[in-house]
Amino acid sequence: MAIETNQTVDCKGLSCPMPILKLAKGMKTLEVGQVLELLATDPGSKPDVPAWCEKTGNELIEAMEEEGVYKYYIRRVK
Amino acid sequence: MEEKGSARELFDTFFGKAWPMWVGAILLAVGNICLFLVKHPWGGTGSYINWGQNIYQGLGVMFDNVTPISKHPVATMNLLVVLGAFCASLLAREFALRIPSVGELSKGLIGGVFMGIGATIGAGCTIGGFFSGWSALSGGAIILVIGFTIGILVALRYLFWEMERFPKLSGGGKAFLSGVGKKGAWQPWVGIIVLLVLIIYNCVRFRDSNILTWFAVLGILFGIICQRSRFCITRALREPFMTGESSASSGLMAGLLVGILGFTIIKYMGIGAYTPIAARKLAMVWIYPNFWIRGLVGGFIFGIGMTVAGGCAVGTLWRAGEGQVKLWLAAIAYMLVAPLSKKYIVPSFTSLPEWTQKKVFLPDLLGGYGGAIVFFLVIMALWYLFVKWNEKTGKFSAI
Repeated sequence: MAIETNQTVDCKGLSCPMPILKLAKGMKTLEVGQVLELLATDPGSKPDVPAWCEKTGNELIEAMEEEGVYKYYIRRVK
Repeated sequence: MEEKGSARELFDTFFGKAWPMWVGAILLAVGNICLFLVKHPWGGTGSYINWGQNIYQGLGVMFDNVTPISKHPVATMNLLVVLGAFCASLLAREFALRIPSVGELSKGLIGGVFMGIGATIGAGCTIGGFFSGWSALSGGAIILVIGFTIGILVALRYLFWEMERFPKLSGGGKAFLSGVGKKGAWQPWVGIIVLLVLIIYNCVRFRDSNILTWFAVLGILFGIICQRSRFCITRALREPFMTGESSASSGLMAGLLVGILGFTIIKYMGIGAYTPIAARKLAMVWIYPNFWIRGLVGGFIFGIGMTVAGGCAVGTLWRAGEGQVKLWLAAIAYMLVAPLSKKYIVPSFTSLPEWTQKKVFLPDLLGGYGGAIVFFLVIMALWYLFVKWNEKTGKFSAI
């Protein structure tokens, strides 16, 4: 099932804390209900992205690993 | 095939997912106590200075009669931290050559330059100065952390400004040889081979030196522990002001408590010291002349560097091991700048009056070991209350 996304934030090659900073910045530009796709290669994103979503109350729809990339789909809740 | 199932389960316990920071911090503190029992505690800057001096000597410029890396316990150890982290990342299929944008790579270099200067002025980095320094009950170590924190606040403001004004600077890049996905199945096998080679090489290399053997063994272990727990002092100090998340801070505190307990036993009991002079020398181990101006200035510069680079003395090492090219550049800049800073910048600080650069052993100041321990417990209780309160209210966190 393909997830419909409104924006993609490409953090491939970036290390901590840049993926989270860019995710936070990207989420601000979305409207409530829209979905952001985050592409990352930093293994730190595996614990960090879910933790950030939980803390900020945004919904992590899906986290998956494809060839070489961690992909996260996050819906802006509020 | 039940046996294979349980072996797999054991493997996944260690390499399936990241360990919590507190697990890493406590294990490192226990290891650090072992290092102190062997010879002296863990440090970071000493190794960067030694590596840099060896490079300059190899090039035939500025330095000679440098201690070889293989005779310098911490330089040997921290090289193995990089390689241990390399192994751990392979075993966990988390290794990849990660190359970000040119802007990010430059920030790695600049961060490394700041760390090299800051650590030498402040006579300590996040490891020797802070993680070991607090355990050693050093007064200057408290000042260093104040400096780090101010540096982090300044650098974070810069990062936010840069993301608004020049978003392209922190642009994404590429990753090669990733362990993610089907094509990455080779990584654990290579990890096992590299680990075996490391162990065998070190057994042969250091068979004549008990001390170096232990530093080498603990170096490999520390690299694995750091990579698996993503042990990051930058993160522990920064996160309250960024996301507000507190688990890195409280995890680090757990390690500091264990370290303080172990180091205090060694110093208080004078383990291995048979004369009053030797006992005093032992008590002053890892107490550096950074109380207070040198610690504050050096810590501030270091704090900027580690935030811009995205890794402190040790965070840089294990991230370099897992293939983050930005941190390779940070490490190279750190090791090339630190010896120069020590030679050319630090003398203008050592020529300042004595009160700017005292060696303060807190039990001397606070009426004995009991007073010093209570002091650290109070500081950590307040720190803990702050990060937990801030996590709930978000008062100091930016995002």
